[in-house]
Amino acid sequence: MNTINNSQHDHQEPRIGVYICRCGGNISDVVDVDRVAEVSRHIPGVVVAKVHTFCCSDPGQNTISQDIQAEKLDRVVVASCSPFLHELTFRGAVQRGGLNPYLYEHANIREQGSWAHKHDPAGATAKSIRMIAAAVGKLQYSTPLDQIRLPNHRKALVIGGGIAGMKVAADLAGRGIPVLLVESSGRLGGRLNQWNRVFPTDTPAGQLVTKLLAQLDANPLVEILLNCKVTAVKGFVGSFQVTIEGPLGPSGAMTSTQTTIGAIVMATGFRPYVPDDGEFLYRKDPGVITMPEFIDLMRGQQTGAGELVYKGRTIRSIAFLHCVGSRQIDGVHTPRADGKINTYCSRVCCTTTLQQALAAKERFPSLQVYDLHQDIRTYGRGHEDYYVRAGKAGVVFFRYHGDEIPRVELANGKHPGEPSLHITFKDYLTWGEELTLDVDMLVLAVGLMAGDIPDLINMFKLPVGEDRFIQEIHPKLRPVEISVNGVLLAGTVQGPMNIEETLNAAGAAAVKASAMFLKDVVELNPYVAQVDADLCQGSGSCVTQCEYDGAIAMVETQVNGKSVRQARVNPGLCVGCGACVAVCPTRAINLNGWRLDQYDAMVDGLTADIPAVAAATS
Amino acid sequence: MVAAFTPKILVLATERCAYPGADAVGKAHLEYGSNIYVLRVPSPVLFPMDFFLRCYARGIDGILIAACGSDCPYRGAYDRLAARIDKLTAVMKREGLEIQRIRLTAICTVCIKAYLKEVGELNDKLLKLGPVDRAKAATIEQICRRQLRPTAAVAAAEPVSA
Repeated sequence: MNTINNSQHDHQEPRIGVYICRCGGNISDVVDVDRVAEVSRHIPGVVVAKVHTFCCSDPGQNTISQDIQAEKLDRVVVASCSPFLHELTFRGAVQRGGLNPYLYEHANIREQGSWAHKHDPAGATAKSIRMIAAAVGKLQYSTPLDQIRLPNHRKALVIGGGIAGMKVAADLAGRGIPVLLVESSGRLGGRLNQWNRVFPTDTPAGQLVTKLLAQLDANPLVEILLNCKVTAVKGFVGSFQVTIEGPLGPSGAMTSTQTTIGAIVMATGFRPYVPDDGEFLYRKDPGVITMPEFIDLMRGQQTGAGELVYKGRTIRSIAFLHCVGSRQIDGVHTPRADGKINTYCSRVCCTTTLQQALAAKERFPSLQVYDLHQDIRTYGRGHEDYYVRAGKAGVVFFRYHGDEIPRVELANGKHPGEPSLHITFKDYLTWGEELTLDVDMLVLAVGLMAGDIPDLINMFKLPVGEDRFIQEIHPKLRPVEISVNGVLLAGTVQGPMNIEETLNAAGAAAVKASAMFLKDVVELNPYVAQVDADLCQGSGSCVTQCEYDGAIAMVETQVNGKSVRQARVNPGLCVGCGACVAVCPTRAINLNGWRLDQYDAMVDGLTADIPAVAAATS
Repeated sequence: MVAAFTPKILVLATERCAYPGADAVGKAHLEYGSNIYVLRVPSPVLFPMDFFLRCYARGIDGILIAACGSDCPYRGAYDRLAARIDKLTAVMKREGLEIQRIRLTAICTVCIKAYLKEVGELNDKLLKLGPVDRAKAATIEQICRRQLRPTAAVAAAEPVSA
């Protein structure tokens, strides 16, 4: 490894290229990117400053690689989105241009620029310039670094044995990758075990589970752990040390086991929304049930079986109410315990409701079926058919507005001893007329809520979105990856999806995980401590701060023929926290990639007197 | 007319927690002042006291250290950082630099509200305090350096002042 000597900093003028991304308007609608480029050209060391519509696109990256050659650039800055999205992308582009990938800096002018200062374009423009100045300043002290290469353990862990987890495991094992599938319950199949026939094909849900189960059983690379939980995780992509607890082994006693894993797929699924006690009389009257409860009731009901009877009540009429626990409105709906409401559409409930209404009507032709919706969102292929067929079968539709929630009261029914549910609402298919319905049963088409996985969120530092679901890096460009490297998402852990979408996501996650195993090694950023032998005076302060055994030690060494004591870092054991850096009397120890002189230079960039910045803000 | 004072705020945000937290604010399209600059850092434990004072000497009016708190991925780092910031505030107090200019807090990856509250409050405090006394900060920076560095080493290690 090279010894860095910052006291003899290379005084050859750097040649820095600066690339400013419009992000298709995400940045340039707020930040005056042409102005930023113009000013950037005057920052000492900058020889090229260009604007591109999408720096991350192939043409954008090629511009950078080609400029490195043509303009003899030796350092590059890209000012674009968060480094968590494209720092790696641009390190790759820089490398393809022939430069060391660590002679690259990223300026985050979208998440921390245009998006955060939308109503302050002048301020956002000036800030972008200063952020570029900081990045340029940092680069003046950057040195080429080599990545740390560690073995990639060719084994995947899938957490959650529902349809998504089963699909991921089957796909991975099908490509020859050993898989550990961990399920917290005693049975694979997850929510599908609760459902009957599933849209849009009306396939029995159990059939899908059985097919996947056969694939898993047939592949010796799949190891299934039931009634087990992941309780701890350490390490990083390529080498996670995972602790699993459960009744392992033949004795069935609770034991814990550790295993090394290269990539992890989260397939923990969702929870159906559970209405509050009394919400639409739920749990106050037995005739009010949720959609999962209704599906359970309909299971095994034969066509022509006469009348539908539930808890002693003959059901002659049913109303289905859409959007329970979905598309909630601030100030109209009561927040949950965490203070949030569910503003999102749960996507699956409309088609499910129509499918179930139709099934009820087909099995019990004399049944009166009503449908109360805000909108009908049968968006998928084949979903609209249920709408058409339900209408033809005589399901009566009403449309309410989200801020005028239908009222449900208990009333005397037509039959002695059998109360009815009295529903009052304004119907906007008839110009907002107030209507009432009396029904024997009300089915609440409940939405999807994020799974209850606080331990996993904590353990893996999973990014949680505003809707409580786990958030992908980018909804379009990187839909199954998250900010935790080596951990992928499959299915409804990420948000409401129907079974088709869940399986698509699971297939994508399996492909992404497979791709991680194309290499035998995982390359990690070389951000570990390093000692400058010319500056180290052997105070030993750094050693006293280090919490990691063997990461740093004092050694006898020869300097100019004299034997001296100096600090020496073991890069394999150093975790790169920097605790040692702060205490060195001579600033002899630094974190590669995060040197103190780089931070000083960044602060100088942020505070520099750039005349053009003032002009940009005026 | 005297131009209105806009404080320059530096947020030292941990790569694992606060930096994605700051990103989350932008992703949610929530806004804060463009006078707030975020630098990414593995752990702020790496900064010696003189680094912070140098920031003030260069015209940073306030510093928010947005750490991981109990979620810190590095053993013992948060406690060491907290101890250092205690020491720093003691020196600032003794030497007459307003300690409201530094604040240590924990911001998580989804702590949008906490982030907005912290930068907003620091901004308000700095508006009341006015610009930092850069010369005084430079003097204290030198005091901190001398404390950290044995006299013999100072001459060799003192960077060329810019």
